[in-house]
Amino acid sequence: MIEVKDLSLRLGEFHLRDIDLTINDGEYFVILGPTGAGKTVLLECLAGLHRIRQGRIYQDGSDVTRLTPEERNLGYVPQDYVLFPFLNVLRNIAFGLGPVRRHRDEIMTRVNELAELVGVAHLLERQTRTLSGGEKQRVALARALAPSPRVLLLDEPLGALDLRTAKYLRLELRRIHRELGLTTVHITHDLMEALEMADRVAVVQDGRVEQVAGPEEMLFSPEGEGVADFIGAPNILDCDYCRELGQGLMEVGCGDLKLTVPHEGGAIRKVAILPRHIYVSETRPPGLSVNGFEGNVTAITHVGNTAKIWIDVGATALMAEIPSYLFAEMSLAAGQEVFIILRMRRIRCYEGHN
Amino acid sequence: MFRILRGVGGERAFRGATISALVLLGLFFTGIVISMLAYTEWDTFLAALISEEILFAIRLSVITATISAVISILIAIPVAYAISRASFHGKDIVDSLLDLPIVISPVALGAALLVFFNTPLGAAIDDNVVKFVFSVPGIVLAQITVISALAIRLLKSTFDSIDPRYEQVARTLGCSKPEAFFRVSLPLARDGLIAATILTWARAVGEFGATVTLAGATAMKTETLPTAIFLSLATADVGKAIAVIFVLVIIAVAALLVIRKIIGRRYQL
Repeated sequence: MIEVKDLSLRLGEFHLRDIDLTINDGEYFVILGPTGAGKTVLLECLAGLHRIRQGRIYQDGSDVTRLTPEERNLGYVPQDYVLFPFLNVLRNIAFGLGPVRRHRDEIMTRVNELAELVGVAHLLERQTRTLSGGEKQRVALARALAPSPRVLLLDEPLGALDLRTAKYLRLELRRIHRELGLTTVHITHDLMEALEMADRVAVVQDGRVEQVAGPEEMLFSPEGEGVADFIGAPNILDCDYCRELGQGLMEVGCGDLKLTVPHEGGAIRKVAILPRHIYVSETRPPGLSVNGFEGNVTAITHVGNTAKIWIDVGATALMAEIPSYLFAEMSLAAGQEVFIILRMRRIRCYEGHN
Repeated sequence: MFRILRGVGGERAFRGATISALVLLGLFFTGIVISMLAYTEWDTFLAALISEEILFAIRLSVITATISAVISILIAIPVAYAISRASFHGKDIVDSLLDLPIVISPVALGAALLVFFNTPLGAAIDDNVVKFVFSVPGIVLAQITVISALAIRLLKSTFDSIDPRYEQVARTLGCSKPEAFFRVSLPLARDGLIAATILTWARAVGEFGATVTLAGATAMKTETLPTAIFLSLATADVGKAIAVIFVLVIIAVAALLVIRKIIGRRYQL
């Protein structure tokens, strides 16, 4: 368990203010916030890379505030991986295990085990500069895991990767977390990444922790305007009934909308969908569309590079967001009839407590 | 005024001007080499080259320059690392002071050393510890005084170019600070270290001003290669001087070729 108490730190333009956090054992904890919020500095504080003058950090109950990185037993994967360019993949992974000459067999066993776990077994003899971004990320991960750390710190692990690789690595990171049961702190600026991966999310803005909550709770009841703005005002619908369809799907009735959602477990009380996950079209989309509806545009506003479109489906009001350049290609106006699709995999469900 | 040089014509004129500067400089040096070759009588040249005196000078230069370069680099590594990484008050001043030996005339440095060995403390060291004045250790000391600043300057830029995060990552992997330095920063600095060693060594071989002031110019005793040129010219033995110049040029070219080779295969990050 990691506890951060009243941590404040000024570092150039970054300023952490009165951070209080508790990260539980075995938890996948995501720190979410916009660029420049101080997420990386916070992670570096956990890793022991900054001298802390104000506040305390505890690891498993003991005070580690003054401990150096090597005394903390943490695995750290920096944003741009920082692989050692003068060592090949094998020796990068083995770096934290001490000199290879000693205990050669043990080290080789451990390296092979890790290479297998993160899927780089075929790359061991390669030089690091010949690796792709995704491969570098895996090697950096294996290197961080090698000394069997108590906690894994990941700084924007998917940020520099192309979309497909990032999507795949998301699943991989969750799988590795599940297999090792390792407390993991993961930084991201991507809301969907946080929602999909986290056991709990801490929203950091302007050097402050604004909210710590499970992904559902954060989405359905954001605390404060800052968090709500950052999340982007999801459409939240109350559900009147729900019915299992099998194969991990459920049908829910929310006002005039009958939705199919991926969900297993108890009854759904609310569903949420982000405005940008509603597909808007002037013409009826071809083929059978799940969660497709007809609606009427009631209002359109422009904020930055996006157009916000309010649409009534029967008596239910929804807000959709599309990029301005796409909006410019359409001829949408208030009062017009449009076709919308609520992308099924993007709908978040909330069982709630009351 | 540069407006009339717009367009292709201007481009040509500019390229012509820059290239003619290069050609003029090339002609100048070619002229020097040709005049030397014209002056040389090959029999006396070869005889001079393998004369006992020149062989002595080559041996003395190589040995003293090697000792000086090694000592300078060993001093420069911690100093350069400290200036590159640490932040302390007056760091800028220290940084500029370290450039002084590069800018100041070597003769002045040698003279300053000579003055030091005339003070009671200096004289005590000279008499009881190591004899520097007019002796071989004096050559090494003079060379170190001149080249150590160069070594520090070169190594500082090497350490500046190494992202401190390599060490940070090494430390999260269990390395202590010194271990991180030796296992990560030093290997990352390897090419810079080799290049700095060669450059300081070559500079030490060519050092004359401070050496001759502190160690004197005694034939077959404190006679390094530059001193040998000086002594040959003083005795109007031009053939011998040319032989030594030839040796110095070969050393310089070899040093630069090796450095080119190292920098050519620098790590691509």
